[in-house]
Amino acid sequence: MSRLPLGLVHVAIVLGMPVLMVGLVNRTKALWAGRKGPPLLQLGWDLLRLLRKRPVFSRVATPVFRTGAWVVLAASVLAAMIAPVLGSFAPIEFRHDFIFFAYVLGFARLFLMLSALDVGSAFEGMGAAREASFTAFIEPALFLLIGTAGIATGHTSFAGLVGHLHEADSFRWLALPLAGVLFVLLQAEASRVPVDDPLTHLELTMVHEVMILDHSGPELAAMQYAAALKMTLYAGLIAALLNPFDPVAAPLACVLASLAVMACVAVAVGCVESLVARLRMRLVPQYLMLASAVAALCLGGAGWWTRA
Amino acid sequence: MTALNVAVFVLLLGAAACLLPLRKTTHAGIGLFTQLLATGAVWSVAVPILAGHAPVVGELAWAYPVGTLRVRLDALGAFFLVWSLPMTLLGGLYAIGYLKPYFRSTRHLGLHYALLNLTSLSFVLVYTADHALIFLLGWETAALAAWLLVIWDYTNQKVRFAGFNYLVSTHIGLIFLVAAFMVLYTHSGSWDLGSFGQWLRGNAGSERNLVFLLLVTSFGLKSAFFPFHSWLPRAHAAAPAHVSALMSGVIHKAGLYALVRFVFLIGKPDEWMGWFLIGFSALSAVVGALYTVGQRDLKRLLGYSSTENVGIAGIGFGVGCLGLSWGHAPLVAIGFAGGLLHVLNHAFFKCQLFYAAGAVYQATHTVDMERLGGLSRLMPWTSLSFLLGGVAIAALPPLNGFASEFVIYSGLFTDAPIGAGAKVALCAAGALLAFVGAVSALSITRAFGIVFLGTPRDRSTAPASEVSRWMLAPMGIHAAGVIALGVFPLLGFKLVQGPAIVALGSLPRSAVGVLQPIATTLTWIGMVSGGLVLAIELLIWLRARTASRPAATHVTWGCGYPSASARMQYTGSSFSADFGARFRSVMTILRRQKAPTGYFPDESYLITDCVDAVERRLFSVIGHGDASAGELSKRLHEDDPRVAFAAALLGIVVIAGVLVLTSGPLP
Repeated sequence: MSRLPLGLVHVAIVLGMPVLMVGLVNRTKALWAGRKGPPLLQLGWDLLRLLRKRPVFSRVATPVFRTGAWVVLAASVLAAMIAPVLGSFAPIEFRHDFIFFAYVLGFARLFLMLSALDVGSAFEGMGAAREASFTAFIEPALFLLIGTAGIATGHTSFAGLVGHLHEADSFRWLALPLAGVLFVLLQAEASRVPVDDPLTHLELTMVHEVMILDHSGPELAAMQYAAALKMTLYAGLIAALLNPFDPVAAPLACVLASLAVMACVAVAVGCVESLVARLRMRLVPQYLMLASAVAALCLGGAGWWTRA
Repeated sequence: MTALNVAVFVLLLGAAACLLPLRKTTHAGIGLFTQLLATGAVWSVAVPILAGHAPVVGELAWAYPVGTLRVRLDALGAFFLVWSLPMTLLGGLYAIGYLKPYFRSTRHLGLHYALLNLTSLSFVLVYTADHALIFLLGWETAALAAWLLVIWDYTNQKVRFAGFNYLVSTHIGLIFLVAAFMVLYTHSGSWDLGSFGQWLRGNAGSERNLVFLLLVTSFGLKSAFFPFHSWLPRAHAAAPAHVSALMSGVIHKAGLYALVRFVFLIGKPDEWMGWFLIGFSALSAVVGALYTVGQRDLKRLLGYSSTENVGIAGIGFGVGCLGLSWGHAPLVAIGFAGGLLHVLNHAFFKCQLFYAAGAVYQATHTVDMERLGGLSRLMPWTSLSFLLGGVAIAALPPLNGFASEFVIYSGLFTDAPIGAGAKVALCAAGALLAFVGAVSALSITRAFGIVFLGTPRDRSTAPASEVSRWMLAPMGIHAAGVIALGVFPLLGFKLVQGPAIVALGSLPRSAVGVLQPIATTLTWIGMVSGGLVLAIELLIWLRARTASRPAATHVTWGCGYPSASARMQYTGSSFSADFGARFRSVMTILRRQKAPTGYFPDESYLITDCVDAVERRLFSVIGHGDASAGELSKRLHEDDPRVAFAAALLGIVVIAGVLVLTSGPLP
């Protein structure tokens, strides 16, 4: 299968899966709670409803606030084009593209935080401050993970080093801890329990939701979709890490395997949210640093494995 | 060579003319015009060298006491010279707007412009010197001119203190530099940097290591590496904005120039030097970034971020240094090109940020974040400029900060055939760099969000309005550079290609070709990012087209509380409180408070300030030295004979250990 159809499949997955992923998480949580739960595509209907609504802007808001949501959406979509979801393939792929990936997400985050600060609220700055500091604790984990995969495989592009990791000798030692690190990254970046609780109703305990308190209508839709897209993205990275098929040689098996892993990740996120209480705010940095520490151990392990 | 002489002569003449009793506008005109002439003259020499011409060499016969003075301008010096002079010129331009009140006062403005000329002169001297004494002359000229520029507002005691602090620090650095030169002179018997290099290349060993450490200390003090940075926040907060900008962006880059120059002179450094540079720089980057988080003074914050950014550039130089010692040419090219590119980019965005901070100061008479807010509606251009500089300093695409960090990252995540241990260490440095990036994104979000967004926190500050065009124009030019170097990175790569070839030395020159694919990638990233901006525009356009009714406006959602006030907004201190609590040893917060007590509480207050942890410890060690010695003797029971015996035994062991280590095992 050539690059173009595969690219189209990639785009369809990363754009379509966010709705389904959120649906799966919510359905899992409902099942644990003994409820029937919302339809799997509920987020899609919610977004359509929001798009039709008239937004209300704060009087204090500047153009930073009005463009912020769209910057976040566009940058997240761009990042999704670099993230390998189908193993060793991504539509945008070049040497050291993982740096661009991380910093495009950083660009999105900057505008998310600025649009939170823009309305001059007593609460929204709190969310921005938490987001900024949690990111600082989790960012090294991503780069340590990439360094580990780079040393183990010798590849330099994101898709290459994540997608070819299963061919490395050290894969059976590294797979589980690295998948765990990515799972923590997902929880932090997509604001899931135990880092943040998307369903909390108390502003003082929110992280992501408090930042978008003043968004409404289409802007809120853009922010919510971007958040779901981020979760898909990291679930896709876990899928690419574990996917044993080659996307060019066995495209169908590869796509099915990736989708299955992503669905499993969504169920796992739902299970964690049902069974575990969110951490106290003071403990979150420790939890995130744990991921960095595991990634650092993996890096050392990969170095040990490939020593001359 | 003639052009360089012309530049020196014109700058000196301009400086002298600025001291004549003329009108103030004439002083400014003379200063700026001579700087413009000097810039043209220097460009006529430096640009061809960067394009690949041979280095320019000159000699000045000088009888006593130093002999012939040699001048040599190669691609490395040309690279620094080509942007240092025009940026100083822009600083002078900004000063016309910034010092506007003084044009009507009795202050002698000519002196200020003369000092700016001398600063430019010091660049010509330092970057072309091939003789240690010319180098020291330029070094000292820069230091004294910068000191006099810092104490512009000398009637303020704090400013004088900051000035003296700077003066003392920079001369401590000078002592280390002179010590290193003395060692080099005694061995090479000449003051020429070339013969210094000959000795350094031929004599690896403890004396070369000593020289290296002395030089790193001196240049670290000049460029404000941690822990030699304690003069920096005071000086940057005290100086006029354009002087802070020039010091941080241009003048103290001489330290990095000298560091790179001496690494080139060493030729094939020991491996530990590369690792030492990476470690030392990574420490600077991390601690500098952490310092920026707690600051409430906008200019102090920007000052600390210099410590962070010289650290990032230093990591690049360290990678290049490792490449030199391993003889791995591509790594040399990537490391030095990345580091130098970051130096250039930092000059662009740091000056821009300082200019914006200066505009805030001129408009509101304060740079205290907690008293500001909502400036973006009153000062749209200044805030746009600060936002652009902020995105660049947080190394986010598509601006220039990203381009240079990308090169440095690609050196750290290299696929070169090097040892696994080295690879692990470089990847770990890459992860630290990622941490630094995230922290600087935090502090720039905080700075921009608190100062420019929201609503004004303190109604007693002057009502702000946009600053004059004299101040906006330099910001605009810097912004254009920040965008151009980010979206068309080939421009920057053309500039650093020459120095990268110099860095390769005896290694094959063709290795500089390794930069080509990186430049192509970055150009591509620039285009993708341009596409991203277009996509955002398209989204907003679509959004406007599909909206049936205009958006409503309402007060900010106060979570049900109806009478929210501007004082309830999130402040800078609260923004950094959570994060800062994890790094108390670096972010020392000083609290002075008087809590309300009783049924009818009288006046109460709480003042928090983030002070420099290094400076504070320094003073407390000096201040408490006596007391702690007394404490120690009390705890040790000095009169106990067992202590005396133990101390003597320890002494014998140490002496024996030193003897064995220096002269080999005993017979």
